[in-house]
Amino acid sequence: MKRVIEARGIGRQFGAGADQFTLSLDEIVLEAGDCVAITGPSGCGKSTLLGLLALALRPAASPGAAFSIGGADALSLWHRGDDRGLARLRAQTLGFVPQTSALLAFLSLRENIALPQAIAGRPDPAYLTEIAASLGIAHVLARRPAEVSVGQRQRAAIARAMAHRPPLILADEPTASVHPAQAEEILALLHRLATETGTALLMATHDRPRAEAAGFAIAPCAPSGLSSSRFAWAGR
Amino acid sequence: MRWPPALHVPLADLAGERLLAICSALSLAAVLAPLVVLAGLRHGVVEGLRELLLENPHAREIVTNANRTLPVATLERIAARPDVQVLIPRTRTLSSSILLQNGADGPSVRVELIPTAAGDPLLPVEPGADDAIVLTAAAAARLRVEAGASLTGRVARSLAGQRESQAIPLSVTAVAPPAALGREAAFVTLPFAILIEDYQEGVAAWRQGALPPPQRADYAGFRVYARTLLDVPGLDAALRREGIEVSSRADEIANIDTVDRSLGTLFSVVAGLAGLGFFVSLGAGLWANVERKRVSLALLRFLGFTPGALWLFPVLQAVILSSAGALLGLAAALVAAAGINGALAGLLSLHRPICLISLPIAATAYAVTVAGALLVALLAGRRAARIEPWEGVSTP
Repeated sequence: MKRVIEARGIGRQFGAGADQFTLSLDEIVLEAGDCVAITGPSGCGKSTLLGLLALALRPAASPGAAFSIGGADALSLWHRGDDRGLARLRAQTLGFVPQTSALLAFLSLRENIALPQAIAGRPDPAYLTEIAASLGIAHVLARRPAEVSVGQRQRAAIARAMAHRPPLILADEPTASVHPAQAEEILALLHRLATETGTALLMATHDRPRAEAAGFAIAPCAPSGLSSSRFAWAGR
Repeated sequence: MRWPPALHVPLADLAGERLLAICSALSLAAVLAPLVVLAGLRHGVVEGLRELLLENPHAREIVTNANRTLPVATLERIAARPDVQVLIPRTRTLSSSILLQNGADGPSVRVELIPTAAGDPLLPVEPGADDAIVLTAAAAARLRVEAGASLTGRVARSLAGQRESQAIPLSVTAVAPPAALGREAAFVTLPFAILIEDYQEGVAAWRQGALPPPQRADYAGFRVYARTLLDVPGLDAALRREGIEVSSRADEIANIDTVDRSLGTLFSVVAGLAGLGFFVSLGAGLWANVERKRVSLALLRFLGFTPGALWLFPVLQAVILSSAGALLGLAAALVAAAGINGALAGLLSLHRPICLISLPIAATAYAVTVAGALLVALLAGRRAARIEPWEGVSTP
């Protein structure tokens, strides 16, 4: 299978002073169609891990480190400080579902979802309508985020993450802000869409049972000390 | 999305905050309008005064007062000055009048003879020949003649108790514009004026048809025209330093210069203060906008907006807001100017608007506004481009 993401030997420190915490990513390999849930207690660095993999947080690299997404060498882009290159790689290969939908308030849902397509240079209104329909938000596409429910916003964020057909979708607690009854439905939707489209899906969640129930493989983010944790996932 | 996202998104943001955008544009316009009116007033008053003088051909004129004996060399030196456009010598005032008759029974009038030459600012035409004259409007009216008419000139002298007189056939080349000279006078060539002077002073016998060449060692006076209005005060002073008594409008011209400079200072102070406030408010607005939209900008960056596209976000909005503000301000200023010109019509006996918002003033106001907004937006945009993309999608 095609390797969508491959990283080893990167990490990041966050916090300061007594609260400083180190996350080490020993290894991760995701292939097309993989659906993996990173689980672990709050503060173990799940979000930071996603930030690293989303090319949004600068990684610290140990000797022998490697980090590539969709075959592109992300680590050398960081080394060169190539902001444009990183922006382009993010736009072409990544979809991201944040904890709170983080839609642009001044654009309609349709425009929000179309934005990654436009930035990636792959406009596809038909596909947009198709995923909006399967997410049950086709009838509210013309509305602004403030005019729809929290659940509909979260679905729009999922649609935005998928709209440009990225090989990798990262999701950061995508059900944290919705009603528990909707949580299962949203996880199931995410899993189904990822499987159907052959997209690799990596999700951070504190809700292991629901993730398992939705069919995600579980990759624990394990504390390795008082102020550090390690993560590794090399496939099922 | 009809346009590339780098254009569509900032425009959609602006459209989404229509009310705020209109308020920003209005506040820009409110500061700009009085500045433009002030600039228009300065321009209108100064240009009005200047034009009032320029309309008058005598404005650049400096004339010698008394009859003197000025060597030709002195005149040539003055004529060669860079601030001199033309110098025309004149003959003795007492010996430079002639009686003009329109036919044997027609009207007659005694006129002053004024030598003219090529480039005389008072006249659109030259006499053209030594027996041709250009009449002032007053003289032409008295004689009831028009251009092309024939007249008889009569000069007389007493020589050794003998009274002699001479009749000279003359033709009227043109009638001078009324502004040239209000008196009854005739503009003639310098050789003709010299001929009359020499005859009347008894220096020479009448030489019919054989005019002397204008070669003289000295003249009684001259009129001289400065190249520009602003040259007049300097030229006037220079002539006085040479001991030549002259009359000119130097004081009046220096006055305009003072008014111009005073209004200029006033304008600079007011414009400086208001302009500073203007740019501070503009800058604060744009900067606050970037701060307020921090999360949105970070999200855009996360979604793949390049640093350049993020920079464009506040820059594009600034150009649109400042353009709208500048145009509104100019419109308001034009309305105010029309009101001022209506209310103060005829002040300073100017036949032109007292508040004159010229195209350069309007263009400058627009350009300075947009350029200032652009400058602040570039700084704000730099800040926007540096926002961490992670801020856009992470939950603190």
